[in-house]
Amino acid sequence: MSDGHLGPEPDVVPVRSVVSAYAPILVLGILAAGFAIFSVTATTFTGPKRYNRAKMDAYECGIEPTPQPMGGGRFPVKYYLTAMMFIIFDIEIVFLYPWAVAFDQLPLFVFLAMMLFLFNLTVPYVYEWRRGGLDWD
Amino acid sequence: MSDDQTPVSPAEAGLEVAARTTSTSELPELEIVGVRHGAFSAVDGGDTSGFGGLVAPIVMPGPTLPPYGGWFDDAAEELALSLADRGVPMESAVEKVVVDRGEITFFVRREHLLTFATALRDEPALRFEMCMGVNGVHYPGDTGRELHAVYPFLSITHNRRLRVEVTCADADPHIPSITSVYPANDWHERETYDFFGIIFDGHPSLTRIEMPDDWPGHPQRKDYPLGGIPVEYKGAEVPPPDQRRSYT
Amino acid sequence: MGLEEKLPSGILLTSVEKVAGYARKGSLWPATFGLACCAIEMMATGGPRYDLARFGMEVFRASPRQADLMIVAGRVSQKMAPVLRQIYDQMPNPKWVLAMGVCASSGGMFNNYAIVQGVDHVVPVDMYLPGCPPRPEMLIDAILKIHDQIQDMKLGSNAVREQDADELAALTAAPTLEMKGLLR
Repeated sequence: MSDGHLGPEPDVVPVRSVVSAYAPILVLGILAAGFAIFSVTATTFTGPKRYNRAKMDAYECGIEPTPQPMGGGRFPVKYYLTAMMFIIFDIEIVFLYPWAVAFDQLPLFVFLAMMLFLFNLTVPYVYEWRRGGLDWD
Repeated sequence: MSDDQTPVSPAEAGLEVAARTTSTSELPELEIVGVRHGAFSAVDGGDTSGFGGLVAPIVMPGPTLPPYGGWFDDAAEELALSLADRGVPMESAVEKVVVDRGEITFFVRREHLLTFATALRDEPALRFEMCMGVNGVHYPGDTGRELHAVYPFLSITHNRRLRVEVTCADADPHIPSITSVYPANDWHERETYDFFGIIFDGHPSLTRIEMPDDWPGHPQRKDYPLGGIPVEYKGAEVPPPDQRRSYT
Repeated sequence: MGLEEKLPSGILLTSVEKVAGYARKGSLWPATFGLACCAIEMMATGGPRYDLARFGMEVFRASPRQADLMIVAGRVSQKMAPVLRQIYDQMPNPKWVLAMGVCASSGGMFNNYAIVQGVDHVVPVDMYLPGCPPRPEMLIDAILKIHDQIQDMKLGSNAVREQDADELAALTAAPTLEMKGLLR
């Protein structure tokens, strides 16, 4: 220890080896993305633009496509409601997972706190059920 | 089988009508529907068969008197009873019955076709569950009865087959539609309308089904042209089959 | 930008033409327009015995948007003709049409009111293949002839020059009826 260290030198784990394990995947990702981008831009530049009305129409097995309302038509709002409800209760389930995993090591206080959490979410659930949010029509 | 355009009486054609005899009941009665000149009645070119000088009658089986034999009598009796139940006497509904080669055909007047079809479907002794479609026939020489609609029926419970034929005139080509009794007849009636021009009253949507929607005429009638085009070769042109020269 | 049409002629363009032609013919995706009996022979050609996959054509695209070669296999009725034209219009360029069988080439045995007498009344055809139905080997022969056409396809100013020459030849050509000789 001529350079003045007090003890044995700690093992230096070179950071490079952790990253270099994933480097090939990064290269593959860049190549794939680059190929896709090159294909699209090269054809945009070199290809002739020969449009006709049929090419811009929707494909419907050769017949004139059924006229759709502008902007895709209005969607019924019940699809949005279903998605919102899914998000809310899905987040609740996410919060329940750690509790379920570590259940037997946790004290009574945690149990009571989780019961309070579930009660806080059961109240809006009952509200939604009674207001008809779970009926499809 | 095709017709002459003008009806020809057997006497004019100089034909033996020995088949039409009522003296012996074993010989079946035949109806002469027309006269055939040549092998295929091909008068407008193309007949190279050598039978161009042939003149022959076109015969259809004539009406049969009861008893018909086999299960036909039971079916006819059941039909008479069920039609009477529905308030239609058998003679006014059925023009004639033809039994030929083991098959029975009822010629039904078009006013009573729906009652007849309902009786065929509903009576337990008849139970003809399946209607195998409508076929059209065109007899151009038979004024007043040019268009026929032929309905084959099949009974699965009794394993029987039967045929119903309805006639109508070209001047008034209306036949009631039996889609209310046999809903599967929908597209078959559309096809018969498309190709023969028979208008089925009461059909939910009677439009052309196989020809384009704005096609003029009804292609399977006997007087509809074939519609071919001449074929061009290098140095020659061959006309379509119905316009080639005649060899007789 | 349409650079492909503006390329100047020269050795570079010839090499590009060769490469582009090789690439295009090597993976020519057929759009099935199997209508009648010829479709069965087309299916047989795609099967293992007469393999179309060895030419890169085993993927029969149902959608015209992804197809290069439209094989019209079978008789085209009057009602089907606008559908055929719409499918052809929806294919992106470059596209080729092969009229398979006599019914697609000229109406075949059906010289009547219901059948279009040759699909060249509806779409421009690059290869006519007679037969009723043509054997799979005949279909493969027609496809290989189209491959030769594609390999020799010109780009850029060469293409413009070739089109002008073709137009002049077509304007001064003799009508079919004047081509006397053997009745072939």
